Amino acid sequence: METNLLDWILFLPLASAVICGLLFRQSGSVAGVISIGSAIVNSILALSLLTHLQAGDTIAWSREICRFGETSLTVGYSVDQYSALMLFVVTFVGAWIHLFSWGYMRDDSARGRYFAGLSLFMFSILGIVLANGLVMTFIFWELVGFCSYMLIAHYFDKDFAAAASKKAFIVNRIGDLGFILGIAACLSLYGTTDFDTLKVAVAAKPAPALVGFLLLGGFIGKSAQFPLHVWLTDAMAGPTPVSALIHAATMVAAGVFLMARIFFLLHPDVLQLCLWSGAAMAALAGLCALAQTDIKKSLAYSTLAHLGIMGAALGLGHPELALLHMAMHACFKATLFLGAGSIIHGCHHEQDMLQMGGLARKMPVTFATFLVASLSNCAVPFLAGWYSKDAILEAAHEHGVLVFALLSIAALATCLYSGRMIRLVFMGEARSEASTHAHESPWTMLLPLIVLGLGYSVFAGNYIGIPKASVSVLPAPMHFHFGAASIVGLGSLIFGFFGALWFYGRSKSDALRDASPALYGALERRWMDNLYDGYVTRVQQPLVDALAFIDLALINGIGGKILGAGIPAGLGALSRRLFHTGSARVNAAWFAIGALLITALLLGIL
Amino acid sequence: MSPLLHSAYLLDAAVFSPLVIGALLLLFGRRLSLGSLAGAANLAAIAALMQLVTLIINGRSGGESPFGAFLLEPMGAALFGMTVVVGVAAVHRAIRQLPGVEKPHAYLGLILILWSGTLGAFASPLSNSEGAIKAYVYHEFALIPTFILTVFWGGEGRRMASMQMAIYLTLGAMAGLAGLLIALNSATASSSATGLILLGFGTLVSLFPFHSWAAPGYSAAPSPVSMLHAGALKKFGLLMIIQFAIGHLGAWSNLLLWLALGNTVFISLVCLAQRDLKQLVSWSSVAHMGPIFLGLWVADVTGKADGVHAAIFLMVAHGLSAAALFSLSNDVRTRTGTYRIEELGGLANRTPVLAAFFVAASMASIGLPGFANFWGEFGIFLSLRDQSLWIQAAAASTIIVSAIYMLRAVAAVFYGPLNPEIEKSSASLHDLTWSDRLIPLFLLGASLALGFNPSLLTRLFTP
Repeated sequence: METNLLDWILFLPLASAVICGLLFRQSGSVAGVISIGSAIVNSILALSLLTHLQAGDTIAWSREICRFGETSLTVGYSVDQYSALMLFVVTFVGAWIHLFSWGYMRDDSARGRYFAGLSLFMFSILGIVLANGLVMTFIFWELVGFCSYMLIAHYFDKDFAAAASKKAFIVNRIGDLGFILGIAACLSLYGTTDFDTLKVAVAAKPAPALVGFLLLGGFIGKSAQFPLHVWLTDAMAGPTPVSALIHAATMVAAGVFLMARIFFLLHPDVLQLCLWSGAAMAALAGLCALAQTDIKKSLAYSTLAHLGIMGAALGLGHPELALLHMAMHACFKATLFLGAGSIIHGCHHEQDMLQMGGLARKMPVTFATFLVASLSNCAVPFLAGWYSKDAILEAAHEHGVLVFALLSIAALATCLYSGRMIRLVFMGEARSEASTHAHESPWTMLLPLIVLGLGYSVFAGNYIGIPKASVSVLPAPMHFHFGAASIVGLGSLIFGFFGALWFYGRSKSDALRDASPALYGALERRWMDNLYDGYVTRVQQPLVDALAFIDLALINGIGGKILGAGIPAGLGALSRRLFHTGSARVNAAWFAIGALLITALLLGIL
Repeated sequence: MSPLLHSAYLLDAAVFSPLVIGALLLLFGRRLSLGSLAGAANLAAIAALMQLVTLIINGRSGGESPFGAFLLEPMGAALFGMTVVVGVAAVHRAIRQLPGVEKPHAYLGLILILWSGTLGAFASPLSNSEGAIKAYVYHEFALIPTFILTVFWGGEGRRMASMQMAIYLTLGAMAGLAGLLIALNSATASSSATGLILLGFGTLVSLFPFHSWAAPGYSAAPSPVSMLHAGALKKFGLLMIIQFAIGHLGAWSNLLLWLALGNTVFISLVCLAQRDLKQLVSWSSVAHMGPIFLGLWVADVTGKADGVHAAIFLMVAHGLSAAALFSLSNDVRTRTGTYRIEELGGLANRTPVLAAFFVAASMASIGLPGFANFWGEFGIFLSLRDQSLWIQAAAASTIIVSAIYMLRAVAAVFYGPLNPEIEKSSASLHDLTWSDRLIPLFLLGASLALGFNPSLLTRLFTP
């Protein structure tokens, strides 16, 4: 297999980003055509790669990019069928989101910058998928962080977008600190950071838990795992297609992809941490989604819950299931976000679900696709979400009752917030001017919804899920086995989804808030965000101000006193008088004379 | 290839043409129009640029130059190349400023002389004692215009700052020279000589706690001087430390570790307290020396070249990004009349190109892959891999803190709604013109070239 194809896949989006960013910032339509075109071509290339790659094949290529002393750093490709699948999912979902952006961003004056950013993001995320080792992964890891920053800050003139972009980048960097140390630890222990050689080396000498914990830092930051999850909900300040592509389907899933790739490095203790934090977050974030009125924020909590489920799957020792869930989640969550985008577009940029209502009749296509994707999200049997979630629940059931209970809560919460969303947005009466005058979106926005929603969310599991990824790891009957997982799944579907439809129909505002303000408040409150904000304003800022004062008063003061008094004493009374005149001109002259003297002295020595 | 590029006189011309033209402008340039001054300055840069091109094409420099006896050794060549880029950018920054400057011929002439001295310091071979002394002399020679320019053309607080700078730098250079002379005249390395070299030359590079001169000094200096001094000239001290102290630090090794961590952690935190854009860039320039010193420290401890090579990479990268940030901050100032962050805000609404360049320069400065700084920082972190975890963590904490202070500044200066005060006060809030763009394009372009192809630089070290 040629690496040529991989070069094209990787560098086509970069070329598109450079061309759009440098030449067509002012002409958004041209930039859009270039960017969308490159994304579509890319997904075709990725499809051809996927179909040509035989099972068990890997394409491997690497070269040294630079060398510091004895440290040789290499970059290159390593593609097997999993990464080829991931490549296809990313480019396919990406291409449709690009197309959706055409309609969604039509009136935006900064479309050129937006499409350049999207293309740059595609370049970065594909770099992660293709990477042959930790060094190249880290390079592109940082780049996706930058793209995310740039696209969250798209509406930079809004203060909340400015704050959210900054927060996302910084929180990711906190995780990346662990990632860097993990890379250094691998290099120290095994002398390499390339996946293939590392795998061989680890087989001979298992990695200590510390390496895994450090590398886990990168995952926690990028995949918004507890306690670094705080940036993801704020990141919804970006344009909705960006939320769909970066903050739901691909970038946040990159952490899962990395963990699956370096699964052989992870010590059981690391997996335990991953399991419990993932399961707990899945349950909690799912419930928090019930206390958001902003449709995008509610979906963001849903994403957090699913990332928790993926983390739990990793912790359970099933990286393949985590990847499978990631692929399935990518399609239905992208559909949900694009659906939300279509709704927001239709309702004249209204995002509050309590201001919507009755949209099913006004936006039938959006409704149909949103409903299907929601059902997929709720894991209705034989829809995409079911294949992965059911298997993960089953694996949790085998592991122990507490994990199973947590994931069951997550499953129930998923059905509850999905039902709530459908009820509040699409059913009942319009609750505001904006939703009364809502209109269906143009075809460039509906087509991606139909393809991703109806096509992909419904059938993806059938043709990608089982044959490609999971059959090798799971006993086939598990999927059709009527076990505890199926009972929980179906039970929560019936009671959760339909229960929510009924419950939220009772009130004009949020029924839970009416019924139990305390519970709603507890779920709505952003505990960790408040903690961090408190730290920054009450601890960090006074601390750095104090340090700056110490520097000025103590270090500068002592230095100034000792030197200011010491040198003139050493150089005699003449210079002392010169110094104390305080005349800059005299100082300059003194300095010039001194330097010339030294120079002359030295030349004399020579 | 043209024989001209092979000419041994090229290096001489590269170093001396800014000196000669600078001196001519200083002495006889009073009557020249601004256009002629700019033309003369551009003329001065030709040989240096040609030398840079030869360096890039050949991957190494030619032989010793006949007139000045210059020789580009690997480390010096890396910094020489960077100084060419930063110098061209700084000279163009100065040319842009000329209409508002008193005695423009002297201003431009002194900047050219400063540039020439810096080039000379890096073009002198440190591996022989004569060359090392010569490099020292060129460095001192470059400090004279630095000081004069700060005193006469500087900004707020220039007198205090230049006095403090003179005291620290003179003392530091003298201590370093004393150590150097001892080291050169004795067969075995003595501990006191090493200490003098480390702390003396360390002071020139704002090694903690001898950094008090640096941030006020850079801030008070005119921007082209800050670009050349913080970007290029001060790295001379690091070269001297690498050449004459690393490898036999002995008892000084532990001290260096703690002082380097002082730059990395303490100064980074001090950066968070800054409320003035140029002060912030100045302080961050001090903080970024921390990882470089850590690279030197680990090279001494392990006896491997990894840390030094990565440190040199970061020295080059930092020169480019710091110069870009100083230049762009000056662009902010010329449009709004202020460096104070709280008086700015929302500039991206009116100056999107300036904002984009500033974001790019900030990203370069905080080590985003694609820019050269990434390889330097990353290489240093990796070179620390066999040291204890807390040292590694303290070193790498810079990626978090630097992101906080730079992105905070970016958000406060460029994002959000346009500050109404600015709207009222400055009628001329126009975006970068094409000639304005050339400066950051040149600097960041060089940084990107090294970011995408780091072996352009690292191949200098591999024979």
